[in-house]
Amino acid sequence: MFKRLKNFTHEKIETNAGVLLVLTMLAISIGGMVEIVPLFLLDDTMEKVDGVRPYTPLEQRGRDIYIREGCYTCHSQMIRPFRDEQLRYGHYSLAAESKYDHPFQWGSKRTGPDLARVGGKYSNEWHTQHLLQPRSVVEESVMPNYPWLMTALDASDVADRMRALRTTGVPYSTTQAEFDRNVQQFGAEHAQMQHIPDAQVNLVKQAQAGNYDGDNRSVSEMDALVAYLQVLGTMVDFSKIKPETLVKFR
Amino acid sequence: MTATAPAAAAEPYDYEIVKKFTIMSIVWGVVGMLVGVYIASELAWPWLNFDSPYFSFGRFRPVHTGAVIFGFGGSALFATSYYVVQRTCQTPLWGGGLVPFTFWGWQTVIVLAAVSYVTGYSQGREYAEMEWPIDILIELIWIAYLAIYIGTLMKRKQPHIYVANWFYLSFILATALLHTFNNLAVPVGLFTLKSYSLFSGPMDAMTQWWYGHNAVGFFLTAAFLGMMYYFVPKHAGRPIYSYRLSIVHFWALSFMYMWVGTHHLHWTALPDWASTLGATFSIMLLLPSWGGMINGIMTLSGAWDKLRTDPIMRFMIVALSFYGMSTFEGPLMSLKDVNALSHYTDWTVGHVHSGALGWVAMISFGSIYHMLPRLWKTEMYSVRLINVHFWLATIGVLLYVVAMWISGIMQGLMWRAFDDYGNLQYSFVESVAAMHPFYAMRALGGLFFLTGMCIMAYNAYMTIRQGQAQQAAAQLQAA
Amino acid sequence: MEWFTNPANSKSLGLLIFFVTFCLIVLWVYGSRSRSETLESHKNIPFLDDENDKNEERPHHG
Repeated sequence: MFKRLKNFTHEKIETNAGVLLVLTMLAISIGGMVEIVPLFLLDDTMEKVDGVRPYTPLEQRGRDIYIREGCYTCHSQMIRPFRDEQLRYGHYSLAAESKYDHPFQWGSKRTGPDLARVGGKYSNEWHTQHLLQPRSVVEESVMPNYPWLMTALDASDVADRMRALRTTGVPYSTTQAEFDRNVQQFGAEHAQMQHIPDAQVNLVKQAQAGNYDGDNRSVSEMDALVAYLQVLGTMVDFSKIKPETLVKFR
Repeated sequence: MTATAPAAAAEPYDYEIVKKFTIMSIVWGVVGMLVGVYIASELAWPWLNFDSPYFSFGRFRPVHTGAVIFGFGGSALFATSYYVVQRTCQTPLWGGGLVPFTFWGWQTVIVLAAVSYVTGYSQGREYAEMEWPIDILIELIWIAYLAIYIGTLMKRKQPHIYVANWFYLSFILATALLHTFNNLAVPVGLFTLKSYSLFSGPMDAMTQWWYGHNAVGFFLTAAFLGMMYYFVPKHAGRPIYSYRLSIVHFWALSFMYMWVGTHHLHWTALPDWASTLGATFSIMLLLPSWGGMINGIMTLSGAWDKLRTDPIMRFMIVALSFYGMSTFEGPLMSLKDVNALSHYTDWTVGHVHSGALGWVAMISFGSIYHMLPRLWKTEMYSVRLINVHFWLATIGVLLYVVAMWISGIMQGLMWRAFDDYGNLQYSFVESVAAMHPFYAMRALGGLFFLTGMCIMAYNAYMTIRQGQAQQAAAQLQAA
Repeated sequence: MEWFTNPANSKSLGLLIFFVTFCLIVLWVYGSRSRSETLESHKNIPFLDDENDKNEERPHHG
């Protein structure tokens, strides 16, 4: 045993491509495993708060457009627990608030302001005007104009999209049993929106009721994107949560 | 396998593939940096977005990062790794048809990625925006690359595997690992590019920045260190200062880099322990990084006289200096208190570019200038133009980095400034307006760097033509 | 033993493994004079391939 150990010199590593391969693999795997695996195992990763629900079909399509246009390259969705951020943006972001975000959009750069709690801060008209011509409402803005958002939204595959999200773990429902579970967890109104067979109908219904882009006759990409922006950060009611309960998750 | 090395050599090296990747590295360098200057200008002068989806910043920015990281950097790594592994193992490449597959496959990936971004397909994960079919193609190329590399190492004539190859190998392995796990996604359908990440929220953030930072660690650092460990000694005509130091450098770097990604997620909803751990390792990483830098600089230290006459040496020494500077700045920015100021600001952008332009691009320029005359069996067309390139590049990086330091720190301070009544002193848009001169300065720095890159392309083109003409003349004489 | 299997301790465990491995590597690399000499001799590998390349200037240390 000892003799074999003695023969195992660093020379072996350098002269044997296979050994070098395995050892390198080992060295580079440990860090990732130690950091990532506990996140999936430990239950103190996510706060238990009420209100966080999967996006409606229209909001989810808006989120797709948010990703398509690369909004995350300039806007973060992650408020840090600092006094200035609290004043500027609102309560710091909770892990639970992005638990249905596939992928996450926390971002890494604020060329523009954080959007984690932009929902409800501006009117639909403001958002539409701002997305079409940012400088007509904020003179110094460097954001691009997005005139093409006024085109009709392709909603034909929204059910497919929700099915894909369901595979990743978002609790959209396909069966009555799942629907009933969602009624329990999110309430009847939201459960209806999360029912995949009704996705397309629900999408049109929400767009027309919300009238996000000021044009009721058709559903545009603007409708979807504004619907998404308006829900950001509004799901959790912080007036009902004691700050102490959140601290232990940090 | 095609070979163009002189028939005199016992077993000619496969230089054809090295030549192809070298040329494409230069081409993608010009394209990627051009797009970079363009998007930098968009931030200074937003009318440049032209109300067009194809040119709008959000879609165009991944075109820039993709073209420079994977097009320019990736092609340079393929070229140099194939060159180094053959020459240090003294054997031609293993792999037959797999070798050209890595070339054509990789070029296809860069083009498809760029086209898919501007037409609106993105995974929304930084530096991994490619959608799933492109990811699968990358996976195949990468397996082929790994097989070629291992295959060539196995049939080497040299008992010892030179340390440069260790770095290249760890880069190939780590990239395979990162790429696979970060791109786990569920496609919407078989005939659509759209997919959704398998993970969500904090888990997704963790996976993405584990990828994101290690793309920097292994793709943009370890691999380019492989380049450094071969081309710096080779060009200086002096062996590496300490081989033992390079071994310690290698193992420490391989082990530690994988831990540090979470420093991108300080103060976020990620559990505190994870980002603290990331910060701890980031600080420790300073040691091996500087060990490596010292190793490189000490190698050059006996050849200071060459610095006066040889602009390629200048590229190398400046690259090493920027490596040292960025690997000092990085741990500094990973401190939670510094990060509270620097995160989300242009400081991060400046830090990335001092690494990417100062270290990655400069060491690649040096290595490519070293290889060009050897690959095409001729002299460089113009050493003076290399010198011009060197100065343009150096001034360009400095302008860029200084602009981003000022704007980044200013942004951070403006966001957290309070007035006498305890209210926020500045609205967000006031900070945006204050950035304008620095965004213009950054675009100018980028323009300098791009001009240097174009001069390199011209110089390379003339060198290759000259080499081909000389070879044709020699053949004519022989016949 | 339970301490080792608890995922909450994986960070300390990882650090420990890292530190021990690192010390072993350093000892290994710098520990013995003869090994040092062998290792340092590898630094000349990049200069061994020059006979295949007419364009290369001969190194002084090769």
